[in-house]
Amino acid sequence: MISTTYEGAHVKSLPTLRLAAVLSGVLLAGAPAFAHHSFAMFDFANTTKMPATVKEFRWTNPHVTLLVVSMPKPGEPEELWSLELTSPGNLTRLGWSRKSFATGDRVDLEFNPLRDGKHGGAFKKATIVATGQVLTSNLREAERPDLK
Amino acid sequence: MRHAAPDCSVIAAAMIAALSLVWPSAPVRAADAGSNPSPQAKDWADLAKLPDWSGVWTPNVSDQDARIKSDPVPWNAQAAAQIQRLVAAEKAGTPKGLFINCLPESMPSWMLITHNALEFLFTPGRVTLLGESDGNRLRRIYTDGRAHPADPDPTFHGHSIGHWEGDTLVVDTVGVLPQTYIAVDEAVGLPNNGDLHVIERIHLAAPNVLHDDLEIIAPHVLTKPWHTTRIYFRQRSRKYDIVEGVCLQGSFSDGVDEAGNAVFVPAPQTEDGNLVPPGR
Repeated sequence: MISTTYEGAHVKSLPTLRLAAVLSGVLLAGAPAFAHHSFAMFDFANTTKMPATVKEFRWTNPHVTLLVVSMPKPGEPEELWSLELTSPGNLTRLGWSRKSFATGDRVDLEFNPLRDGKHGGAFKKATIVATGQVLTSNLREAERPDLK
Repeated sequence: MRHAAPDCSVIAAAMIAALSLVWPSAPVRAADAGSNPSPQAKDWADLAKLPDWSGVWTPNVSDQDARIKSDPVPWNAQAAAQIQRLVAAEKAGTPKGLFINCLPESMPSWMLITHNALEFLFTPGRVTLLGESDGNRLRRIYTDGRAHPADPDPTFHGHSIGHWEGDTLVVDTVGVLPQTYIAVDEAVGLPNNGDLHVIERIHLAAPNVLHDDLEIIAPHVLTKPWHTTRIYFRQRSRKYDIVEGVCLQGSFSDGVDEAGNAVFVPAPQTEDGNLVPPGR
């Protein structure tokens, strides 16, 4: 079965997702746009820390996206968050792969949040709780020749 | 009546054509300026005399950022006013993305602002730049001695001819579409507005450090040629091999059609191309 991607804040059943796909995305309101864009909408002066569960890891050009569900406090609803990264090629060179995250992985996240307070951010760091593996994505930390 | 002097090139072409009838394998190289000759063993051997630019080259993004201040673009007054608004929008966190339509970053912006790797291929008579992320990223630089076409069709990357001065490749590019940006980042830049001319001197500044010294001549938006440099680092680890990067792929979600086929489904995008965060 081909998995269908994130289509909004709510978790949909597969038939619903398929219907959305058939309808050419018209119903995909709230789906992320991935065009090649600036990152200036993120607040790089602030870092948000958040425990979460991976919902989907989109290994797509020009920007990879990690969709996570927050771990709410008792009585509060879950929230879906979308974190953006650089390209698959650049992440591969930083040691990532399209399998770096699996759906359901518990992660401790750090990211630079959107300035407008919406549920998005620029990925900074993730620790996969089960393994302790730490993933970072700063291209500027890899600016020298002959990297291994 | 005076007869016009015979055109030597016509005579030469005719002789070669005649020769080729009796000797099909006769070399017909340089004599025909309108065709691409079959490379000979010497042409391939000569490539070994060129500097070694093999490997994958990753950009120094921090230096790109730093040069916004150290190598300021000499925008003319009208352009500067527009740039000021773009910078203000960026600082306010509402960047006006220049490349959100996924058209090629083009010349000269590919060389100026890329965050992705590139590689060089040397073949007889040509240097080819291949890139990543921007699906159409490809530059053909003719080093076979040809001139620019008299009136080239404008393209995103223009028409490039190059020659070697020692170990430096000097590239001259014209014929670029007026819509292509002169950008200092993904949200600050302006269309060149026509008559763009780019001269590059590409060379190794250290064994594994490549410099592209650019002179950008854009008379409709600049007051004088803009000189700047972009730096790339050589990588040899195979994890740096160039991968496919189709910009528009991210504008689609994976989906399934009625027949169960794997299909791409358009994902709605905001006007400014920014990520739409999930809502509740």
